[in-house]
Amino acid sequence: MAETQLGDVLVELADTLVDDFDVIDFLHVLTERCVSLLGVSAAGLLLTDEQQTLQVVAASSERTRLLELFQLQTDQGPCVDCFRTGEPVSVADLPTAGRWPRFTEAAAAAGFSAVHAIPMRLRTEVIGALNFFDTSPGARDPATLRIGQALADVATIGLLQERAIRRRDILTSQLQTALNSRILIEQAKGVLAERLHIPMHEAFKLLRSASRNRNRRLSELAQAVVDGIEEIPPPAGRHG
Amino acid sequence: MSIRRRLRLWQLVVEQSRGRPITVEHVCAAVIGATGVDGVAVAVALPASLREVLYASDAVVSEVEELTVTLGEGAGVEALEGGPVLVADLAAPECESRWPIYAAAAVSAGVRAVFALPLRIGAIRLGVMDLYRAVPGSLDPEQLADALQLADSMCAILLDAADGQNRLRINRSGPEPLGMRHPQVHQATGMLIVQLGVTAAVALIRLRAYAYAHDRRLVEVAGDVVARRLRFHRDSDADDGDSG
Repeated sequence: MAETQLGDVLVELADTLVDDFDVIDFLHVLTERCVSLLGVSAAGLLLTDEQQTLQVVAASSERTRLLELFQLQTDQGPCVDCFRTGEPVSVADLPTAGRWPRFTEAAAAAGFSAVHAIPMRLRTEVIGALNFFDTSPGARDPATLRIGQALADVATIGLLQERAIRRRDILTSQLQTALNSRILIEQAKGVLAERLHIPMHEAFKLLRSASRNRNRRLSELAQAVVDGIEEIPPPAGRHG
Repeated sequence: MSIRRRLRLWQLVVEQSRGRPITVEHVCAAVIGATGVDGVAVAVALPASLREVLYASDAVVSEVEELTVTLGEGAGVEALEGGPVLVADLAAPECESRWPIYAAAAVSAGVRAVFALPLRIGAIRLGVMDLYRAVPGSLDPEQLADALQLADSMCAILLDAADGQNRLRINRSGPEPLGMRHPQVHQATGMLIVQLGVTAAVALIRLRAYAYAHDRRLVEVAGDVVARRLRFHRDSDADDGDSG
């Protein structure tokens, strides 16, 4: 992977951070860039809630099957292990590893063979995990995983909005806000999917491109859609 | 583990109710029991964005809550708009600049720490639950986790109350969590907004009511809605599978 490409991504993410940015949108962009930069097939980001349970907050694609696979790891799988231990978990070939039977089966059904989970750390505390899937088995070279860790760190910074954050209460507040924004986006996806007769993942794409076009924060637009204050027309070529 | 916490806290709520239907008051009493704070209040957000104090555990708390509503300033007001607002010492200088009137008034009323937790489910803003302490000091992570878990139960109770029902049957595990455990619940809520032409709050209430009435889990009913096996209609409850 070219260094300039990594540079471009870091500049893009830093640009997002200085604006009045939307945390879910930021994390979504980050997972998309993980896919293009690291050459993985899919990326997802899970955060802990105050009950020490992981919740899916962003993914490189909103395909239901992929989201379910990330969600499954809130119970068992590499993400939970990574979160509990605070150490990266890398599995080059899931079936031969023989761990997490339920997760391995679901991953295979979705066409994934290898999985990596990188902890999101804030000093001593683990606040979530960045998760990658590969369709072909194989280990990742250490350089790639280092970049993955760098992106996980950028995600942590973005989430906290303040680099010098020290106070536990701000962390709690930011995590809770991020998790609630995610609920809001699911509600808005439901509104759009029903109104425009489109699949859930299309609804997310539509919501996101509308937020870009209108220069609105994703969660603000989602709130307006759920409240019926703003409408989003069907995607081109479709009639809702 | 989260499930153990949930069971322990629900047990606490059930003990408070002594076999009667569970109310806001019982959850507030459980909050005090679990976190050791001195007082708790619940204020609800009304459609016109005014707030009304629904419950306050004592006179001091009641005074500070009324103050918050009147001034439109304070921890609870900010929590309604954003995430939890946790203030370990209201007499600290930064509180004075943040809330010029509220901070001083709350301190003179006898409150030194406030922890305002939003009662929110995505776009649905039900209100806030405020925890108060007479002495400065933050909640430890365990207490905060308990409080947030009970805030989730409070959301369920307020939704049922809004429906004129009290459906929280005293089962072992309490109300089904309203968080992100099951994204389909929130997607289905969004779909019902359109199918029924109602607000998000009413959509979620209808979804829960259907699950209760048919003795099914909320997440299963939501899954049927998302898979378009179940549609809701404006003038009736719901029809199964009429759209394939």
